[in-house]
Amino acid sequence: MSRYVGKPLHRVDGWAKVTGQARYAADQPIPDLAYGVLVTSTIARGRIRRIDSAAALATPGVLGVYTHENLPRFAEQSPSWVPYAQTLVPMQGTEIRHGGQQVAIVVAESFEQATRAAGLVRVDYDAEQPTIGLVENLSRAYTPPDGTPGALQLRRGDPAAGLAGAAVRVEVEYRTSINHHNPIEPSATLAVWKGDDLTLYESTQSITFTQDAVARMLGLPQERVRVVTPYLGGGFGCKGFVWPHTYLTAAVARLVGRPVKLVLTRAQQYTSCGHRPASVQRLRVGAARDGRLTAITHAVTSHTSRSDIIQFNPIAATQSVYAVPHLEIASQVVEVDLGTTIATRPPSGPSNEALEMALDELSWALEMDPVALRLRNYTDVDPSAPDRPQSRFLRECYTLGAERFGWPRRRPAPGSMRRGELLVGWGMAGAQHNWHPGVAQATVRISTDGRARVTCGTQDIGTGTYTIMVQVAADGLGVRPEDVRAVLGDTRFPPAPSSSGSATATTVGMAVRAAARATREKVVGLAVADPRSPLYGAAPDEVATVDGRLFLRADPGRGESYRQVLGRHGASVEASGGADLSANAGPSYGAAFAEVQVSGVTGEVRVTRLVCAVDAGRVLNPATARSQALGGAVWAIGAALTEHTLVDRRYGRIVTANLAGYLVPVEADVPDIDVIFVDKPAPEANELGARGLGEVTATGAGAAIANAVYHATGQRVREFPITPDKVLAGWR
Amino acid sequence: MNEIRYVRASTPAQAVALASAEPDTAFVAGGTELTNLMRDGVQVPGLVVDVNRVAERGIEWQPGRVRIGALARMAEVARDTGVRHRLPVVSTALLASASGQVRNMASIGGNLLQRTRCWYYRDTALPCNARVPGSGCPALAGENRWHAIFGGSESCIRVHPSDLAVALTALDATVLTQGPGGARRLPIETLHRLPGDAPHRETVLEHGELVVAVEVPATAMAARSRYRKVRDRASFEFALVSVAVALELRGRTVRDVRIALGGVAPRPWRAREAEDVLRGERLTDAAVAAAGAVAVRGAVPREHNAFKLDLVSRTLAGVLGELGGGR
Ligand SMILES: Cc1cc2nc3c(=O)[nH]c(=O)nc-3n(C[C@H](O)[C@H](O)[C@H](O)COP(=O)(O)OP(=O)(O)OC[C@H]3O[C@@H](n4cnc5c(N)ncnc54)[C@H](O)[C@@H]3O)c2cc1C
Repeated sequence: MSRYVGKPLHRVDGWAKVTGQARYAADQPIPDLAYGVLVTSTIARGRIRRIDSAAALATPGVLGVYTHENLPRFAEQSPSWVPYAQTLVPMQGTEIRHGGQQVAIVVAESFEQATRAAGLVRVDYDAEQPTIGLVENLSRAYTPPDGTPGALQLRRGDPAAGLAGAAVRVEVEYRTSINHHNPIEPSATLAVWKGDDLTLYESTQSITFTQDAVARMLGLPQERVRVVTPYLGGGFGCKGFVWPHTYLTAAVARLVGRPVKLVLTRAQQYTSCGHRPASVQRLRVGAARDGRLTAITHAVTSHTSRSDIIQFNPIAATQSVYAVPHLEIASQVVEVDLGTTIATRPPSGPSNEALEMALDELSWALEMDPVALRLRNYTDVDPSAPDRPQSRFLRECYTLGAERFGWPRRRPAPGSMRRGELLVGWGMAGAQHNWHPGVAQATVRISTDGRARVTCGTQDIGTGTYTIMVQVAADGLGVRPEDVRAVLGDTRFPPAPSSSGSATATTVGMAVRAAARATREKVVGLAVADPRSPLYGAAPDEVATVDGRLFLRADPGRGESYRQVLGRHGASVEASGGADLSANAGPSYGAAFAEVQVSGVTGEVRVTRLVCAVDAGRVLNPATARSQALGGAVWAIGAALTEHTLVDRRYGRIVTANLAGYLVPVEADVPDIDVIFVDKPAPEANELGARGLGEVTATGAGAAIANAVYHATGQRVREFPITPDKVLAGWR
Repeated sequence: MNEIRYVRASTPAQAVALASAEPDTAFVAGGTELTNLMRDGVQVPGLVVDVNRVAERGIEWQPGRVRIGALARMAEVARDTGVRHRLPVVSTALLASASGQVRNMASIGGNLLQRTRCWYYRDTALPCNARVPGSGCPALAGENRWHAIFGGSESCIRVHPSDLAVALTALDATVLTQGPGGARRLPIETLHRLPGDAPHRETVLEHGELVVAVEVPATAMAARSRYRKVRDRASFEFALVSVAVALELRGRTVRDVRIALGGVAPRPWRAREAEDVLRGERLTDAAVAAAGAVAVRGAVPREHNAFKLDLVSRTLAGVLGELGGGR
């Protein structure tokens, strides 16, 4: 029975957030708190020759200065990648492997004192020339070993023959830049010890990973570590795994014997918790005259840190979306002296944007409408997993999006839609994102007053998890959402996976569903076995529950409330449930249609309209889902037009490490975005019928914008972000 | 944080006296710039002298000119009816600056005296000749997409980021100051120094010299003026290139014109030769193109900023086109 799932329920945590009552990790009122501030390396490669803490120690309020010289050895010296985000354990030796590596922590009575003292820690380095820059170092690219995260080498059919036999071929290279996550809440750790028990208030997308990683690093049994994350101000991947500042803070708090809070500065946020690597992508696409694809080869090269070899621009769509008989996928890496790369919403975004730009180029070469080209190569079966059952409503995305956008009115010739100085362009692209559900547990308890509480050790990273839990529990129990309270973000609750991979609503939702149904069964069982109940003697499956009332399906007048049943029972009823969706990973789809205006004078590009059609199965809550789709689209605008991290080659230092240097889109960059959900259930995904949707719109809208820029100007800019200088370059 | 003393001055003379009595003092007005510089450790004053009660805050119209108090807020000046109609280049430049919130706090004096946005200047972990004399300039061979094409030297290629200063330069405004040596009137174009081999001396102001007001001629040309700013995002971002033009036409003939460029030099850059090319000419495509070409003559582009030459010419043409009522 679905009464509340699928409805645009307002965020249940919205009130607490807008009134400031929601306490994030760094807001916890802990008595006797001390403040930690990091000192980070100013060089990108080399060794610490000497650290002089004397001046820092002599300043008022300082409780301790910790460096590799006085910090105890951690229990894990070469930890595994996942749950650890980076395998380099800092402050255990003198080697520096990236700019911004942690070299000391100063702890003081106040944040100001700690900051001041941190500025007085003198570090002398033996610096070496770092290797920086993907494009500059492409000659060092190599194919990483099998099993390297994110790297894929794949061959289907005979790509060379497929290309040779093509009537039309496109051979192109695209570049995308380094991106940072920039959640508005910086990463924060607040470590409180009681004897050997540690409580961490942590801004993390995974309390489970944090508990595991910190316990192992400190050599503690897991149950001694409790992690609490009631709210998260965004993560986007940079809080998905466990970074050193978390266990460093825990270790230091133990040494000073005080609770310690450490919040990364905005600048430290650029070097302490990962980034999306730059990419160079080469695509060759061949097609027959009628647009049928004969072959695609897609090679992506990304930079990676020397410490953790990862290819964090994975290719997901190229092998899975279109019916192409001959295919080759190749991944390479270039090692540079930057910190570890990490998932960035959405990891496969850049590769899909490149694919969708290449298809646009093909559509021009074929003189074929880009939507028609995609439909010509449509397949209901994922060619990379033909045996996997799959509901795919990508066709609906194209048609719904095109219709809403007014695509048929497009004048095909580039530069043909002009408004004064402004060149207007329309572009479209497909979107695809693999979601990664997992295993979760939840507990539902309903009390004698008829109110329910649902608990799960997940975290609401801003996506609406609280709200989805309430909706699913309300439906599972048959009570009103007002009578359900969701509690999450505590390792004392049943475990749930990292909130990443666009999978929380479904994985957690399914666990909550199981727990709610189990609880409902128990209460129904109580009622039908109780001679005082009007339902006495009924078969449990004859009983329906709606909005807090239990009644006979065949005779709705015969029934009573949860409250009455539980009141007589005299105690609350609780049950747990779990879900294992780990075998159900698969893609969600979308199509994006963009209108841009390019100044014919300055080359400035502004997006004036964006329509995103999304097939993510059934929509659990249109309000929170829309918000996710909008967020994804804004991410795409940023990646396509404004965002890039610049690193100084000589110093290996990120020079854009703040929100004035790294340009996320502002209101004025974001037009009205129209989001359309196909909203058809994906039965193979789970009983809720929902797939992942948190990232899918961010995989195609950027290419739609780039393709629109081409339509506007007749110039192809093949490098993100598309800044005025790159547009002008085509006009010179 | 460091120990910082703070005093609130009650007269201009007292402000000047306090600020000039010690070496490491700074005035604070809106604080939108100074606090950022302090937080980043770029500027570490021992004494901060609050001038919010001492300098002028009003916008005073006098015959043929307007006097804008140094403490007038950017937002106040931008929305002033007289400024909007008689000095549109000033209000459009202000409205293209920062954000609504910043403009509500930020003062006119503080705006003119904001420091370069050069990231090497603002990151104390890196060398910078303007911050630490003799330490080197990483921008020369580094990430210099935003840097100067005019007026730089081999020790510094910073850009002055104020939009307002560019507009005021096109109007030949005067900066009124009061310093330890008395009152001064400085043509705005002379306020910021070119780096030469002393890039750490950023302005001609003496230590402790207070900006009191700005005086702007309200000419016919000023009333036909415009500011255009090119940037990487639609708002809340500094200029890649900006152009301020004041134009006086008789029919299609340019009687007089002033052109100032922003985002290209350590100070607002007057394009006098381009003005000369246009003065007395009909405002034709050819004249505009000639002015655009002359405007970038002598530019010294670096690895990542050569696009600014083309962008200056194009933007100038765009502004002239708009002001000239279409070409
Ligand atoms: C996020 C952000 C974006 C911005 N974007 C833009 C932009 O696009 N365009 C633009 O032009 N500006 C921009 N700015 C800069 C902004 O305009 C300045 O910060 C502001 O104008 C400074 O004014 P204030 O009164 O706050 O100065 P303060 O911070 O108080 O002072 C700035 C400097 O001026 C000195 N000073 C202040 N008043 C006087 C005086 N009367 N006499 C002598 N010295 C004085 C101070 O000692 C200090 O060195 C931006 C700023 C921020 C923070």
